[in-house]
Amino acid sequence: MGYRPCGVYHQYYGQDHAWWQTKFVWGKMIFLFLVVFYLFPKFAGLYMVSVFNIVGYTILAAMGVQLLIGYCGQITLGHAAFIAVGAYTSSILMLQVKWPAFLVQAGLVYPISVAAAAVAAGLWSVLFGLPSAKVKGFYLIMTTMAAQFITVDFIITQYVSQVGGRGSYFSIPPGTIKIGPWVIDNDMKYYYLASVLVILCTFVMANLLRCKIGRAWIAIRDNDIAAEALGVNIVLYKLLAFFVAGAFGGIAGAYWITNLFFVSPEHFQFSWSLWLVGVILIGGVGSIYGTIYGALFMTLIPEALKALILFLTGSEFVLNLMPFLPLLLEKFLYVKEAAFGLAIALFLIFEPNGLSYRWWQIKNYFNLWPFSY
Amino acid sequence: MELFLQLFITGILVGSIYALVALGWTLIYKCSGVLNLAMGELTLIGAYVCITFYHWGIPFVLALIFTLVVGFALGILTEILFLRPMVGEPVLSVIMVTVGLSFFFKGIVELFFGTDTVVFTPTVFPIEPVYIGKVVVGQVYLWAFVASIILLLAFVSFFKYTKWGLSMQATADDEMAALSLGVNAKVVYALAWAIAFMAAGVGGTLLGNINGLNISVGYLGLLVLPAVVLGGMNSVPGAIVGGLVIGVLQNLADGYLSPFTPGGVKDVFPFAVMVIVLLFKPYGLWGWIRIERV
Repeated sequence: MGYRPCGVYHQYYGQDHAWWQTKFVWGKMIFLFLVVFYLFPKFAGLYMVSVFNIVGYTILAAMGVQLLIGYCGQITLGHAAFIAVGAYTSSILMLQVKWPAFLVQAGLVYPISVAAAAVAAGLWSVLFGLPSAKVKGFYLIMTTMAAQFITVDFIITQYVSQVGGRGSYFSIPPGTIKIGPWVIDNDMKYYYLASVLVILCTFVMANLLRCKIGRAWIAIRDNDIAAEALGVNIVLYKLLAFFVAGAFGGIAGAYWITNLFFVSPEHFQFSWSLWLVGVILIGGVGSIYGTIYGALFMTLIPEALKALILFLTGSEFVLNLMPFLPLLLEKFLYVKEAAFGLAIALFLIFEPNGLSYRWWQIKNYFNLWPFSY
Repeated sequence: MELFLQLFITGILVGSIYALVALGWTLIYKCSGVLNLAMGELTLIGAYVCITFYHWGIPFVLALIFTLVVGFALGILTEILFLRPMVGEPVLSVIMVTVGLSFFFKGIVELFFGTDTVVFTPTVFPIEPVYIGKVVVGQVYLWAFVASIILLLAFVSFFKYTKWGLSMQATADDEMAALSLGVNAKVVYALAWAIAFMAAGVGGTLLGNINGLNISVGYLGLLVLPAVVLGGMNSVPGAIVGGLVIGVLQNLADGYLSPFTPGGVKDVFPFAVMVIVLLFKPYGLWGWIRIERV
């Protein structure tokens, strides 16, 4: 919200609560829509579009983590489990169930499976959120970690993956994923799907946060005893937070199977859960922008790093100067992991409020620039 | 019955390694209140340092001692660089710093040592098994048990009888009072990390001797979490008993439940136990009963 320009007054409550309060912001947002849906896919290369698919997936996946950690104060280190549940629910529904022909014709199978994935992942998340009724802090972290190991490493790896014979079942034949008349089968279409889903989820999340439910969550985060004294049903709202967060995770998982040709548990490891928490920590805890900035940062910086190393390896001179560069490229995955760990630690030490706070500061500075008094 | 005894004894022997690593974890938590999720990577680093020394031709015992020295230095360095600026920050931030550290260490290890399984060549311990009654035990397990018991005793007597150990105990008990009595808290924190690094390093080395060394040793280091939760997070005897119990339970589950499942019970069972403990007895066996309840 920030500052309004001089002479802009609100006459109604609705104006006061509008997301986009001025014409300028409206213009900015319309421009953003234009960029996301027209300019970017048109002018960026196919590779950049595929990178942004990962960004979209990260945003969707981190949304639930942001809700739990940033808004409800329930620390979760097992969110990949719920994403996995979403992905597997969606793919099982699409591949296993005999759908009536008219649904298949109309291309409704995938949308239905996405909704089902959201519900299933939400319920699964509630199951592991139940201990939050009893414990908090570190003990809750432990139970969410247990959720990760029990769900992904045990139930999915050992049982669910066996459905229909190990290794053969969860490959998704091309052309299976259809929304209405559109077959989702290339990077460009994944990109549009991701954009739509991100916008929808952000919309839902932002609206949830400014109504009664969101205020209850924030009250629980800030002081749960005071919240209870004020009549917030803590257990109910915590479980609701787990449900909604799990549902976001389920949607993320159901989206990600479009990008995969083969669903397997390796995509939903513990490190992915930690990565998501890192995303919101770097982006900013307790801010929807933070999720988006964090996802952009965490995906684009490694890409930029890779591009830089690639560029440097191209020149003979630099190669003589730093002969270890090709090796670095070969082991880029590990470099990325180490750099990411270091980035989390350094962000927490030097900028604990994350990128979104820094961005807000910069915006405020330039809002009044050059006369900041 | 024989199967039970076999599983039980193997469990105790492996559990002693967990106990060693869990001891390091508990120390950090007791002294500085940091919940360390990088424990698995500490075991990895120690193990790789030791195997590097060993492959240079240094005798195993000497390599182990060098590992302790390196672990000591790394522990103090880590504390000064990453944990000291975080004193007084919210719990989540501190935990996430350790998560960041775990990624960092893992990346570094993978970068320098690769991800292939390496084994100690020539093998450190003889391969011939030892018969205790009807129970067959590999010598590796036996020696690992002996080594961990020796180190456990060394660490425990360090706490009980030396000045630094006592000041660590004092800090763990009441930081403010310890500070006012002239205990240098910075040194205590650094020392706690150093000991954790040392214990984890030895634990990792022993685990690496049993099954060969690769990234998954870091996962075994994660098993200390169920152990410490079971023992009560701020209790040293709790950590030791918790480690042993988790080792035994893991092996029993492997022996008795595996026939009924496709596999993988061994890895998950400790965490299932942990959830149950958390639900019914969140402060563990001997932890201080001051867990915040909702």
